[in-house]
Amino acid sequence: MMPPDPTTPGGALLVLAILLPCAGIILSFVLGGRNAERVALGLTPFGFALACAIAFHVASAGKPIVYALGGLAPPLGIALRADGVSAVMLVAAAVILTAAGFYARAKFATPEGGPESRSALTFWIMLQAIWAALTIIFVGGDLFNLYVALELLTFAAVPLVCIDGRPETLAAALRYLLFALFGSISYLLGVALFYGAYGTLDIPLLAQRVQSTPIVWLAAALMTGGLLAKTALFPLHLWLPPAHANAPAAASAVLSGLVVKGSFFLTLRLWFYVLPALSAAGAANILGALALAAIITGSVLALRQARLKLLIAYSTVAQIGYLFLVFPLATGAHVWSGIGWSAGVMQILAHAFAKAAMFLSAGLLAEALGHDQIARFAGAARALPMTFLTLGLGGLSLMGLPPSGGFSAKWLMLQASVASGQWVWTLPVLAGGLLAAGYVYRILTPALSEGDIMLKAPPKRSREAIALGLALIALALGFAPQGFFDLLEIGRPLAAGTLQ
Amino acid sequence: MSPWVLAGLVGAALVGLGLYGLILHPHPLRKLLAFNLIGSGVFLVFGIVARRGAAAGFSFDPIPQAMVITGIVVAFAASALAVALILRLHAESGRVTLDPEAWTKPDDGAAKS
Amino acid sequence: MSHLSSTLLVASLAAPLALLAACFVKNWRPRALALQWLAPAPGLAAGLLGLTAAPASFDLPGLGFTLRLDPPGALLLAAASLLWIVVTAAVWRERAPDERFGLSWLLTMAGSLGVFIAGDLVSFYLVYALVSIPAYGLFAFSDDAEKKRAGAIYMAFAILGEALLLLAFAALAAGEPHGSSRIADMMAALPASPWRDAILALIVAGFGMKMGLIPFNGWMPLNYAAAPIPAAAVLSGAGVKAGVIGLIRFLPLGVPLQGWGEALAALGFLTAIYGVLLGLTQQNPKTILAYSSISQMGVIAAALGMALGAGDISASGDVAFYAANHLLVKAALFLTIGALAMRGAPLGGWTLALAATLALSLAGLPFTGGALAKLASKAQFVSGWAASLATLSSIGTALLMTHFVARLDAPPPDAARECPSALVRFWPAVALGAILLPWLFFPAFGYVSKALEIAKIWEGLWPVLLGVGLALGLRRLGWTAPRVPAGDSIVLFEGAFTRLLALGPGFETLDARLRQWPAAGVSLLLIVLALLAAGVLG
Repeated sequence: MMPPDPTTPGGALLVLAILLPCAGIILSFVLGGRNAERVALGLTPFGFALACAIAFHVASAGKPIVYALGGLAPPLGIALRADGVSAVMLVAAAVILTAAGFYARAKFATPEGGPESRSALTFWIMLQAIWAALTIIFVGGDLFNLYVALELLTFAAVPLVCIDGRPETLAAALRYLLFALFGSISYLLGVALFYGAYGTLDIPLLAQRVQSTPIVWLAAALMTGGLLAKTALFPLHLWLPPAHANAPAAASAVLSGLVVKGSFFLTLRLWFYVLPALSAAGAANILGALALAAIITGSVLALRQARLKLLIAYSTVAQIGYLFLVFPLATGAHVWSGIGWSAGVMQILAHAFAKAAMFLSAGLLAEALGHDQIARFAGAARALPMTFLTLGLGGLSLMGLPPSGGFSAKWLMLQASVASGQWVWTLPVLAGGLLAAGYVYRILTPALSEGDIMLKAPPKRSREAIALGLALIALALGFAPQGFFDLLEIGRPLAAGTLQ
Repeated sequence: MSPWVLAGLVGAALVGLGLYGLILHPHPLRKLLAFNLIGSGVFLVFGIVARRGAAAGFSFDPIPQAMVITGIVVAFAASALAVALILRLHAESGRVTLDPEAWTKPDDGAAKS
Repeated sequence: MSHLSSTLLVASLAAPLALLAACFVKNWRPRALALQWLAPAPGLAAGLLGLTAAPASFDLPGLGFTLRLDPPGALLLAAASLLWIVVTAAVWRERAPDERFGLSWLLTMAGSLGVFIAGDLVSFYLVYALVSIPAYGLFAFSDDAEKKRAGAIYMAFAILGEALLLLAFAALAAGEPHGSSRIADMMAALPASPWRDAILALIVAGFGMKMGLIPFNGWMPLNYAAAPIPAAAVLSGAGVKAGVIGLIRFLPLGVPLQGWGEALAALGFLTAIYGVLLGLTQQNPKTILAYSSISQMGVIAAALGMALGAGDISASGDVAFYAANHLLVKAALFLTIGALAMRGAPLGGWTLALAATLALSLAGLPFTGGALAKLASKAQFVSGWAASLATLSSIGTALLMTHFVARLDAPPPDAARECPSALVRFWPAVALGAILLPWLFFPAFGYVSKALEIAKIWEGLWPVLLGVGLALGLRRLGWTAPRVPAGDSIVLFEGAFTRLLALGPGFETLDARLRQWPAAGVSLLLIVLALLAAGVLG
């Protein structure tokens, strides 16, 4: 007997959200030239509206919205599912991708009647491909389906790294791709083991069936290892600094702000949605220890970089560490796990917006000054006040000073650490904040000191405004009302006792 | 030895060989080949997994086979992308290496205080 | 809370921030900077209204912030607002300082007024960060190496203090059973909190950094020597009081905690004496004032320590009064350096008398505001050893202040240039105001007549006479204190910091090794194995 079709009202929105960027890719490819840009930018408002509509549906229904593809319910069919976190991530991705797209117009525009450039076409198509892949990752409900989305995400991100074709960027892209493939094959093996053990890859069904057997732990370990490689959690970060620091600014913003969050999101799905029934304190502590190492090493390395973009890239290594603190702080069904969960999601969002803003600013800075050597910034803040304001505000969030999303995240993390008696995790949270203050200080102090500076070209005000807007969103997250945190709880196993 | 045990052993051997190559061979092309070896090993595991349908009365579970086909397509796409990058890298710079030192420009560290 | 006072409370925070926002519109910027002296006016009004009113809270709708006004906070708010109005008006009347300075000034102002009225944890933390961090812009943007050093050290302590407080606040929030974030509710829950001792240690260390309690005193002399005189005046007057109000708010004064109280008192007295001794070794009048601030903050910490040990909640008013007096006098003393430097003539006659009276007010000279402050603090120093130490610190302060007045003849070279020229004219009013204004405020906290009893006058007078006599005697004998570099123990922190920095290359090597492909590949395998082991064995 077939199980009933689980599709809920609003479920079709999920399909639309995936189809929209896919259609954009095909249209851009077929029409080419200036039209690729028009299509990509023209679709952004619709993508944003769809994301908002999904968030609205989830919030008003108070439970996840589901769409069963072809009307077939799992385990035979594949279901798309958007819960609170997916909805929030969809909206964040839409905002950042839109911002990056409009920012990139200056660099990847095709002039009227001019020849079509390969890099422009690649950029617009890959931007939409990232959007499609992220959407599938956020709403996908089937582990194999998510594997394909994860690969799509990597394949779209790699060309963005080497879009200008310089040898060092090509090498960085190749390093990224090969290590990501290492990760994906590990993930895939885990998927095979899960299927072998339980005959389904649907997340809620698996969550009901999993038991603490060696095969499950092996599958989880393989999948997690693969996802960590793609997320660049220390010490698997070999590919990240060159890839993120050498890509064009708009691409760096997307790569650092969103792409690493895609694989991190799947890590969350795995441990909090597939395996919530198992006692995973040991694994959570291992991830916490890696997070600690990432925060300290990444921040210290950021402090020692001579180039702004490399500094920001190493700061991403550190901030990825913060993301993984969610595992020790939110695992299990405790009073404090809810706080840890809110902290983790807040950290994803705060870092996404702050880091995107900082990379966009760094790009403007490099274009205006002709270099991004921090030691030669003297007087730059006077010449580029808005750009440095953005860097400063983004830095505020990274340091975790109020009012900012970064502050909220740290504040909740500290509360969860103390309430759970895991004082050890306060150490990386605080030390990371101090070190972040150090590297932000290192950027701003020379810039604010006296000095004469020659601008090659003043940046366009609209591009500065885009970066500033993202930084302001990172700050506004610090004022998130309780309703926002309630939304994050929708669909979280253990949150409302959905899984006994 | 039953066929599935043999398949499992071969899969494990492929994964092991691939891991060795992926981790230790410095040349990207060899790494790529090693990745494909691991991939083949994993697909063999999927093949064994398909046997589980036997318990339910099917002679074979079709879903893992669909997954293998998808996986092969993905691995093929990945290989194509990687080969394109390797060729481009060779065309631009005349050498193909992943050693990060080789791509550090001399002025990167110069301004370090 | 009445409609008027809640409006004023909101306005005290909103006015500086509104002017700040106006600065971001290019055409409005000159006007906004010129008008900023009015920004603290609502704070002054709210403070004066709140002096005699019962404590009251007001929730800001939408943001989840709570503003709270009680007499101690109101007194400090009023005094700080007054100081900000006077100094801002003087500075901006003549020349528009550069924009970085102007923005930092407004941000620091907003924070400095906000700490006295913030009623919940998060908003307190926010305004506390505002009063600490932007102050960097008031003195550190310079090519001068010493100023840069002062700025870096200031920033390091400010950020470290913020981090300690953040942890303390998070632990407070985690220990509050009803999910409230109001400071008053936290303090009610603190004595029973399982993490009480850790929280108290963090609170004392965090706010102690702001107040310059040993061993965290080294940044203060560097900071005040580097800051232009108007900035030094507001930082030493209003800025440091953020630490004082922090201790007043976050020590559970209602419940006797003997051990903690005695420890804090001992630390305070030690700081008080240490500040005097080190101050005597200094030559720059700005640095001497900084050490005097350290010493006075020590007295305040000691008073709070005694109150904590005794469980005396009423002490907050007395301590706030002592702090308010210090706020006015210390700022006026910094302006004195500038005013007298501009006059150029050697010190003598009524200027000497006025400067000396102002300086000795800190030591509790009868009929000055300092005498009232001393009266207020006396209430805490009842036991034998505390009373003796308090008297000793008065003698020391008189000694140090005499040294300061003697050094007024040798102001730092920039002193005259840093101040608005009008200062020469209105300095007497500033000095008299700092001496006399506390008399106006005192009735809200105690009986003025008490300060006029003969016994109290003598009690206040003899330590001052002894201290001054000692100073003059030592001078006559030709004794000079050994020279100690400004910032004393800071070299130890700098040394430790340099050693920390030396670890940097090690991290770089580690990173370079781990980023080798084989290392990363093996790491991945090890992580998988570790996760597997944790799952199977755990």
